[in-house]
Amino acid sequence: MMRFTSFLIVLLGGVFSMCSQSFSVEGNVVDENNIPLLGVNVLVKGEARGTTTDFDGNFLIDNVSANDILQFTYVGFLTKEVQVGNQRTISVQLETDSQSLDEVIVIGYGTQQRKDITGAVSIVSENTIKELNPIKLEQALQGTAAGVNVTPSSGAPGAGININIRGIASNSVNGPLVLIDGYQGDLGTLNPNDVASISILKDAQAAIYGIAGANGVVLITTKTGKKNTSPQIQYDSYVGLQEASRMIPLLNATEYALLLNESYANNGQDIPFPDVSELGKGSDFQDEVLETAPIYNHNLTLSGGSEKVTYSIGGSHLYQEGIIGSEKSDFTRSTARFNLGIAISDQFDLSANSIYTNIDRRSINENGLGSVLFNALNIAPTFALDQEDLDGKLGNEIINPLSQIENTFNEYNLNKFNGSFSLDFKPIEALKFTSRLGYSVSNSKGKDFAPIISYGPGKVFNNDRSRVNQNRINDNSYTYDLFGTYDNTFNETHHVTATAGMTVIKNWGDGLYATGYDVPNNSWDFADISLTTGTNDGINNSAYKYDTRKLSFFGRLQYDYKGKYLVSGMLRRDASTRFSPDNRVGYFPSATAGWILSEEDFLSDSQLISFLKLRASFGILGNDETGGSQFYRSLLNGEATYVFDGALVNGKALGSLANPAAGWEEAEKTNIGVDIRLLKNKLDITADVFREDRKDLLIAGIPVSGIFGGGAPGSGAPTINAGTTRNEGLEFSVKYSDNKGDDFNYSIAYNATILNNEVTEVNGTEFLSGGQFAVGQPQPSRFQAGFPIGYFYGYKTDGVFQTPAEVAAHPSQLALGANASPGDIRYVDINNDGVINTDDRTNIGDPIPTATMGLNINLNYKNFDFTAYIYASLGNDMVRNYERNQPNVNKSAYYLERWTGPGTSNEVPRVTTGATANTAFSDFYVEDASYARIQNVQLGYSLPGTFLSKTGLDRLRIYASVNNLYTFTKYKGFDPSASTGEAIGGGIDYGFYPVPRIFLAGVNLNF
Amino acid sequence: MKILNSNFKHILLLFSVMILAGCSEDYLDKTEEYSIDSENYFNSEEDYYNALIGVYDILQSTYVNVLLGEIASDNTLSGGESANDVIGFQQIDVMQHTPVNDNLDDIWDWNFAGIQRANYILEFQDKTDFDGKEKILAETRFLRAYFTFELLKWFGPIPLKGDERFRLGDEKTIPRASKEEVYAQIEADLTYAISNLEYTAPQVGRVTKGAAQALLGKAYLYQEKFDQAATVFTSVINDGPYQLSDFNILFEQVGENNEESVFEVQYTGEEGAGFDCLQCSEGNVAVGFQGIRNYTGPKFESGFSFNVPTAEVFNAFSENDLRRDLSILDIDAWASETGATYAEGYKHTGYFNRKYLPRQNDNVGDANLTQPNNYRAIRYADVLLMAAEALNRGNIDDARARTYLNLVRERANLDPVTESGNNLTEIIYTERRLELVGEGHRFFDLVRTGRAAQNITGFTTGKNELFPIPLEEIEFSEGNWEQNPGY
Repeated sequence: MMRFTSFLIVLLGGVFSMCSQSFSVEGNVVDENNIPLLGVNVLVKGEARGTTTDFDGNFLIDNVSANDILQFTYVGFLTKEVQVGNQRTISVQLETDSQSLDEVIVIGYGTQQRKDITGAVSIVSENTIKELNPIKLEQALQGTAAGVNVTPSSGAPGAGININIRGIASNSVNGPLVLIDGYQGDLGTLNPNDVASISILKDAQAAIYGIAGANGVVLITTKTGKKNTSPQIQYDSYVGLQEASRMIPLLNATEYALLLNESYANNGQDIPFPDVSELGKGSDFQDEVLETAPIYNHNLTLSGGSEKVTYSIGGSHLYQEGIIGSEKSDFTRSTARFNLGIAISDQFDLSANSIYTNIDRRSINENGLGSVLFNALNIAPTFALDQEDLDGKLGNEIINPLSQIENTFNEYNLNKFNGSFSLDFKPIEALKFTSRLGYSVSNSKGKDFAPIISYGPGKVFNNDRSRVNQNRINDNSYTYDLFGTYDNTFNETHHVTATAGMTVIKNWGDGLYATGYDVPNNSWDFADISLTTGTNDGINNSAYKYDTRKLSFFGRLQYDYKGKYLVSGMLRRDASTRFSPDNRVGYFPSATAGWILSEEDFLSDSQLISFLKLRASFGILGNDETGGSQFYRSLLNGEATYVFDGALVNGKALGSLANPAAGWEEAEKTNIGVDIRLLKNKLDITADVFREDRKDLLIAGIPVSGIFGGGAPGSGAPTINAGTTRNEGLEFSVKYSDNKGDDFNYSIAYNATILNNEVTEVNGTEFLSGGQFAVGQPQPSRFQAGFPIGYFYGYKTDGVFQTPAEVAAHPSQLALGANASPGDIRYVDINNDGVINTDDRTNIGDPIPTATMGLNINLNYKNFDFTAYIYASLGNDMVRNYERNQPNVNKSAYYLERWTGPGTSNEVPRVTTGATANTAFSDFYVEDASYARIQNVQLGYSLPGTFLSKTGLDRLRIYASVNNLYTFTKYKGFDPSASTGEAIGGGIDYGFYPVPRIFLAGVNLNF
Repeated sequence: MKILNSNFKHILLLFSVMILAGCSEDYLDKTEEYSIDSENYFNSEEDYYNALIGVYDILQSTYVNVLLGEIASDNTLSGGESANDVIGFQQIDVMQHTPVNDNLDDIWDWNFAGIQRANYILEFQDKTDFDGKEKILAETRFLRAYFTFELLKWFGPIPLKGDERFRLGDEKTIPRASKEEVYAQIEADLTYAISNLEYTAPQVGRVTKGAAQALLGKAYLYQEKFDQAATVFTSVINDGPYQLSDFNILFEQVGENNEESVFEVQYTGEEGAGFDCLQCSEGNVAVGFQGIRNYTGPKFESGFSFNVPTAEVFNAFSENDLRRDLSILDIDAWASETGATYAEGYKHTGYFNRKYLPRQNDNVGDANLTQPNNYRAIRYADVLLMAAEALNRGNIDDARARTYLNLVRERANLDPVTESGNNLTEIIYTERRLELVGEGHRFFDLVRTGRAAQNITGFTTGKNELFPIPLEEIEFSEGNWEQNPGY
């Protein structure tokens, strides 16, 4: 019936307009500064026709009549309507929508206007992504959203990036839940150019995601077309060069030889280099290993829409070579994407989108003992570039890094499809049902080839039988949502939004690993299991399979009174197959409230305050992620391999120990915040204080007594709910934007997060330990009540012994490995028991920053635009662990300042080949890795319209930028920003693959 | 209108289907059960056999008992790369170990894992019947006794739970048993094994009656039950198929599982291994650990230079003792003879444990961790010497004691002895040290005969007879288990 009515209206309207006198109207559209606006949609209201303005802001529209209303819409500006009347020429000035308070924000199973938001939500807009021009999407969150900490796990192309929202609460998995257009996805494989906006839910508002929301929720909205817009093509491209942003100063060959002579002499041994005169500077392996590498990226998007259909189609291609090993650590990402929206009828809207991603990646050995950079830092500079350590001078792990790169062969390929189908049904204006299926199918294959190679006797990388390892991994998931939203206002005062529904999530997949021996010709060209000929008795293949499911029901009620007083409450019931049937179900409630003071009479006339809102939230969220898929039962997947009759035999044994009582982690989140806009919205301030108590931490591999057999091969400790942590802090962000005259506008934004992190309880064990320091030393990182998660546990130092008298006056350090001599590190007797031993270890730092902040500057002058993004991280410590403790390896240049006699140094100990306690894990090896980094500086120029008119282009912008321009830090290593992301064991530097400095030149084209 | 209606119905239908089918909790129970669960196993003979392989597997991780037992004794020094290289080894070498010691922790964890895996079988021993089950149970019980005896030697009495696995919480309720109770279980297990096993096993590497008898005799000897020890050793000697082999090849690959082997832990270099899971290696990790640092030359491969014999033990051999140069490698002599090169490690003595040095072979990587040398856990010479000791110290029959002793001496190219009484005891002790040097027995022999303090520097009587129970275990037990005296 309704369809019929609308058909009639259209028909009659058409007839009516044909009967009346029609004419053409032309005009011009400008902004507040009288600058012509290009691409403004000009529509005849109620009809499916219109046009867009050209580069001079001019438009011409035919067949209009006096009764028609022209509608001018443009992103970022308020929509304006003009009755045609007698006018033949219409000039329009559009007003900037500085009230981006009306901005619609995705909050999970719905959207909300920004002014009505009562939770702590950060937004990263398409614009910010454009300005930052990140290679991976995660990089767009660093320094742009308060409370979000982003740390690269490596500077290698395509390497993973860790995100923590408001600190680290769990001992294991701390990454947020990522939802792409509503379904569970992965930030790491997305093309940043496909993203329209990112919402980050940081507080109890995320409780609508219940069991999955404790680590925060990142909601990604991909680009869609807009209704009634003519087809627009956008092409973006850049090319660039990358280089290492820092070299570690090392000893040259002569300095090295002299130092070695000294260390041998100090132990009464013959000096190894009696004549150093011919050595010169020797080889600089670091310089040889770190190279300049290219990067380029292309993006093409077509978008537009009619009255009924919107579309956005895009493709991209990125190639990035590594600054170590060039194409041996490269990354290629190609994506293709479409997004379609179809208004089937007045009641039904269908949308479908899909993203295809193809990733190729190669990698080199990094961030470990014997990794390429580790070797480059430790190999002796007296070695020729092609020389192997045939005399075993450098220990078993250090080999020539250049031959190591040469003999590294691997490849990884990922093919992934993800997307969603969504059907909206609006039976009446106030009610909407959404049925949405999101899916992700990904297949990856990996291969690595170990050729027969010898780097010298005893080297751990030697391999006397060639081997190729291959794997195929298949991961799938779907997320099905069905929910209804009722949104209505009663008596113009009571606004109610009620949402209820359910979600089903299933993740399943399998993996297959196999190894082939004896690769023909010992060559990568033939490295495939299909060509290998060798056999052996071992099990050369393995496989796994998983299937985890979640079933959830949720409801949310939002109410506001006259848009002034806002409250909401939500409840989610989750069931997860990670737990035994008895412990499967949990309920997660939360509530939020807000008060918009600026709507009250006493503030409504304020010249100073444009907007003021107080808000608070409290709720309970959950987390069931700890890596493992099931905790409550033991599988027979332990290792049971022995030798009978001289051949390997395989049996069955218990895998990881079961804990039938395991349940989820509970996060109790409290947030109080304020949003203020001052000076006619020019100054925008948001501040939050928050606290999260994470209880019943699911601690995987928590130490339990050895009597349960967890130490057996292939077994392991159970997962037990056994700890509590607290994160509390402050977030603050402020933005000032203004115009100066017609040609200049600018904005400055600053945000800061101050965080205090503490473990408040660990049950069943005093502490958990993790990480590695040097070789064969106790694990340096701990998770212990009363300390930050993953703090470093070692000795405190008190300078260097200068004289024998000082040594004699100090407690014995023998328990650390040797009696002290002058020139050795003096350790503090923490417990004052007159002896230095393992009981004197204490907290000597932690890798979690106390404060992080971002500063973003935007300037536009005429056709020029300039942006700068600066990020700072304060109070994070790093363990310098790239120095091999071995008599003949090279050393950092700071050893030139070592102790050589009384008064020479109170920081760097003497060198000797004899036994000392100087290598024990102490604060000598822990450095303050606070840093401030100029992340991105970009200067762009948009060609003027007069020029473009001849080319048929709508917009042409060229720019140059530098990523990672400069880092201010006292840290001695390559990169203070990197971390493995492990909660326990992060912040330990084996010579991180540094994040490169990238010089880019790019172009943005619209036509 | 009609279209709308049908669409609306579809939505409603979809809604109700989801509610009925998807939303019921059944959805969560339908996850694929592709894996065997620990509690639904033991349904066939094969299941028992496969689980038994799991128990055998743990034997390979006892490499650390051997390596560390030797370092603890006066035979060897810790070695390694530097003073901090494997601190747990370094501390035990100088008897300065504390309850915090990762390597002692390994011994505790891994041997208990063996017991747990054995008890997994014994817990389900009645579930499925088949011919020959008692043989599998007999092997299981031998292995349980083997691991239990190791733990008893290192840590003293341990908690026992009978034929059942320990479950979370038991550490707080089951106390350490008495020494007598632990020995009683060992003796019962081995007696069962003896009466259900043959002298020849169905596969090389599996437990035999002789192995069970020898281990039982050893357990008696440790308790100074000399009569019972002598009886059971005599049975091995008279009824078993064992004889002394050629010492020249005894510790070479060709000497593995030969006529002298009573019980031998099997290793292979066919499967790779890494440092993150040493107990997962199918190779003998101790061998790579005590290899010559950065060695190039004939016959041997390089290693990490731990567990280096002292000059004192090398010189304890007489010049003409065949065993000296076959047991201990004088690296300088070897280097000048063959042109081999090597690097000196920490506490370099110039000697290496030749019995268990890595031989050149084609084991897969990490080659330092996958050396295939079998550990001769109980060999006939050991049985003869234990028999001689029991006969002599129990005042049973010095003549027979001498006979057994002289068999061992004769092979070593030494003259027979004629002493008796205490003099004979001393000779047996000395012979035992020299015959078994590098095999991990010395420390425990010194302790059980009360001679540790006089031979081991730093040894404190009343304390160092036992190693400390790992501190974390004491903490897990929340006071249920008492620490050993002195720690």
